[in-house]
Amino acid sequence: MQQARSKPNAVLLVLMLVGVVAWLTLPAISVAPNRIVPGTPQRAQEALGWGVALLATVPMLGVATLAWRPFTWHLRAALVLVVGLLAAMPLWLSGVAATLEAASRLGLGSALWLLLFLWLLALIELRARLALSRPLGWALLLPVLLAWWVCLMQWLAPLALYREYQVRSDQFVGAIGQHLALVGSAVGAALLLGVCLALAMRRRAGVRRVGFGILNFLQTIPSIALFGLLLAPLAWLASRVEWLAALGVSGIGWAPAWLALLGYSLLPMVRNTFVALEEVDPAVIEAARGMGMSQRQVFLQVRLPLALPVVLEGIRITTVQAIGLTAVAALIGAGGLGTFIFQGLGQAAMDLVLLGALPIIALALMVDALLSALADWLRQGGTT
Amino acid sequence: MSGDVVRQRHSLAGWWVPLAWLALLLALSLGMGLLEGPLRVIEPDSRDVLYVRASFLALLGQHVMVVGLASLLAVLLGVGGAVAVTRPAGRDFLPLVTQLASIGQTFPPVAVLALAVPALGFGTLPIVVALLLYGLLPIVRNTLAGIQGIDPGVHEAARGMGMTPGQILRQVELPLAAPVILAGVRTSVTINVATAAIGATVGASNLGDPIISGIVNGNTAYVLQGALLIGLLAITVDSAFERLQRRVVRQG
Amino acid sequence: MIELFDVTKRFGEEVAVDAISLRVQKGELCVLVGTSGCGKSTTLRMINRLIEHSDGEIHLDGQPVRTFDEVTLRRRIGYVIQNTGLFPHWTVARNIGLVPRLLKWPRAQVRERVETLMALLGLPIEEFAAKYPHQLSGGQAQRVGVARALAADPEILLMDEPFGALDPITREALQHELLDLQARLHKTIVFVTHDMDEALALADRLVVMRQGRIVQQGPPLELLHEPVDDFVASMLGGDARGLKEAALTRVRDRMLPLGPRLLAHERVAVDVPLNQALSLMLWHRVDRLTVVDDDDIPIGELSLRRLVGSKA
Repeated sequence: MQQARSKPNAVLLVLMLVGVVAWLTLPAISVAPNRIVPGTPQRAQEALGWGVALLATVPMLGVATLAWRPFTWHLRAALVLVVGLLAAMPLWLSGVAATLEAASRLGLGSALWLLLFLWLLALIELRARLALSRPLGWALLLPVLLAWWVCLMQWLAPLALYREYQVRSDQFVGAIGQHLALVGSAVGAALLLGVCLALAMRRRAGVRRVGFGILNFLQTIPSIALFGLLLAPLAWLASRVEWLAALGVSGIGWAPAWLALLGYSLLPMVRNTFVALEEVDPAVIEAARGMGMSQRQVFLQVRLPLALPVVLEGIRITTVQAIGLTAVAALIGAGGLGTFIFQGLGQAAMDLVLLGALPIIALALMVDALLSALADWLRQGGTT
Repeated sequence: MSGDVVRQRHSLAGWWVPLAWLALLLALSLGMGLLEGPLRVIEPDSRDVLYVRASFLALLGQHVMVVGLASLLAVLLGVGGAVAVTRPAGRDFLPLVTQLASIGQTFPPVAVLALAVPALGFGTLPIVVALLLYGLLPIVRNTLAGIQGIDPGVHEAARGMGMTPGQILRQVELPLAAPVILAGVRTSVTINVATAAIGATVGASNLGDPIISGIVNGNTAYVLQGALLIGLLAITVDSAFERLQRRVVRQG
Repeated sequence: MIELFDVTKRFGEEVAVDAISLRVQKGELCVLVGTSGCGKSTTLRMINRLIEHSDGEIHLDGQPVRTFDEVTLRRRIGYVIQNTGLFPHWTVARNIGLVPRLLKWPRAQVRERVETLMALLGLPIEEFAAKYPHQLSGGQAQRVGVARALAADPEILLMDEPFGALDPITREALQHELLDLQARLHKTIVFVTHDMDEALALADRLVVMRQGRIVQQGPPLELLHEPVDDFVASMLGGDARGLKEAALTRVRDRMLPLGPRLLAHERVAVDVPLNQALSLMLWHRVDRLTVVDDDDIPIGELSLRRLVGSKA
């Protein structure tokens, strides 16, 4: 084993060397005097001078050196360095911000985005090599998030993304609420309907064939087309049926979005629930029956609990997918974080696009992590 | 040897489903004018009910071009990358690439598209890049799964028989992984057809155009025309892949 | 001829094979036997360089294997493994023709060779040529595996627990087929197994391994009679060794010509192993059997004293 370990870790070496090159050659930031004028890109050494720029390469080269002989304690040290780098980025930005005039806007340049990406990859790699648990992996991000938060509150007011947020902080909170409400209600309804459908499919092969046929078909239709196709019938319905109109149903807005989300969510939900219920080890069911459990008891006490982790997997896939689809729904006026993306694209205001896109990604990642953790916990026998 | 002969006999039968969808798609993009009557019923208040800013055929062509280009690059890079990290030389990168492919799929395609714009500007380029990046993930994941899912005994036997690494890759690993890889390509292309339409909001002209402009102008008829064509395109592509998958699976 | 001189294999700190020396003569069937993890498979796989040895030398006909190109080397050596490793996407015929095709034989010659081998291994061409591996039973698949290994007519055959996953009846049948094949083809075979009965039944030379070392090697009977230590003795069956030995000896070797005495009532075939003859005596509670030939004609007799090899 010792021989194998002392081979250099090529991944970390490559990540860090690319990082150093990017840092010194690509623009790290862009500075604009106001919102309208496009920013001037600046490289790291232009922003705070060569001294600071070169100082920042030291930890990266340090990680690369440690990776040359990747003993466990070397990798642990590298982990500390990478977390330090991630936490140092907002501090460096704060330093830059201090040199700017009051009204100017500070944007992140390609070098910083790339570095964020590379360092997060390094973190993932180190987590895997050191076999750290998932919660511990997330805990590593805490100091980083703390550093960003403190810097944003104290010194990073000129950050363009933050400015966009400040202008719309109420709207932003509202958009997140809308987004979550749409996703939550659609996925919730899909869960109820999906479980019923899956149960029906277990009873009848005909329902199964037709059901999966329709749902598969639905899944292939692009979301934007489905939203569009729902416009006409819903508008027509709303014009004919008064109480629907009173509910706020119309061709655009939340109604077509919700319906389309429900449609898309059904397939993964039904498929996972169905497969989960079908694939419980027949020997276990046989044993349960042999012990004299009734059909009902077998289902409620054996089949369902054993199927639960896979059902949860279905909920996870569905929810992550719905978070992305809801962003598209903003196009037909359903609200949510997608609104910022499309507004931003319309006004060529890239920071506004980011204000929509970044939280959507964060939401998706968070939901994914939470539900995965829950499924793991259930699998380890955390039931009861 | 006679097995090869049997295999040759699978004819074009069964391809009629995708071909029928394709015919419908082409017919509709050429003869949308014939639908003017029904469209007017839906949108009685507007002066124009037919989207005329560009021919549907041209929009369809653009759409197919962008998706095709991105998908082709994604297949080359995705399969190539996955193959590279399963070779002895690239094995160091395997855990990272595996993790990345699974984390990346959590990213919503719209968000990836939105992030490509600040980096690359408006137009067709950011769409191709975004589609390429997003389309890579299912292909990489499935190629890895396909190659890693091969019975270790088969691999061992191939080496033991004196096949070179190149021969093992071409004659054993890729053919055996083909059904799984193809499933990944199908997922990738399906997502790309849908995401490309959203690209109309960042200045690419394709089948998303009529939808966006219909939504902006409150013209449901436009939306319908775009939606119909995109839906048809998606179904055509999907049914063609289904056919292809059946063929590959039957061979395996 | 295969020769190993002080061959060692280390995986990191762990020593899997520890300075073993071994010579397998041309035409010999050498069986490596031992508990799992004793290094027998590793030893086998070092011969065709699926694993590179760390120290020592391995020679093939006097030439170090390191001097061969590894791909060329492997094409010269047949290789059979436990779960067959047949390519699931290829027909039986194509699987068998693999190595000849790798060696760029002309198509007609490949086809001819495949047909010869299928006939040799009792796989009717019409029935099996176009089948895929998943359509075969375990025994059939393993026959294909052996045919594939023999395809390019290699001097040497390496077999890694080839019959390990088969049911006892099929396994025994294939063991007999292998012995028949060997009687005709005279390959140099290294065979790895953890099943001592299989090892005793097949081996010209038996090599018992333990913790990366060879504990004892020699003809099976020699090991049965003179195990070097308790480990080898217990591997060979402990107190049941007598029965194992009896299984290796035929009635023919112990019978006496017909004497003046009356024929014994119970009969035994001439080429049956002694353990079966003993079983017949126990079953019928007699101490004498009449030995008959294939046509059931008495040709000799076997007494209990002769059977146990008593000197008196």
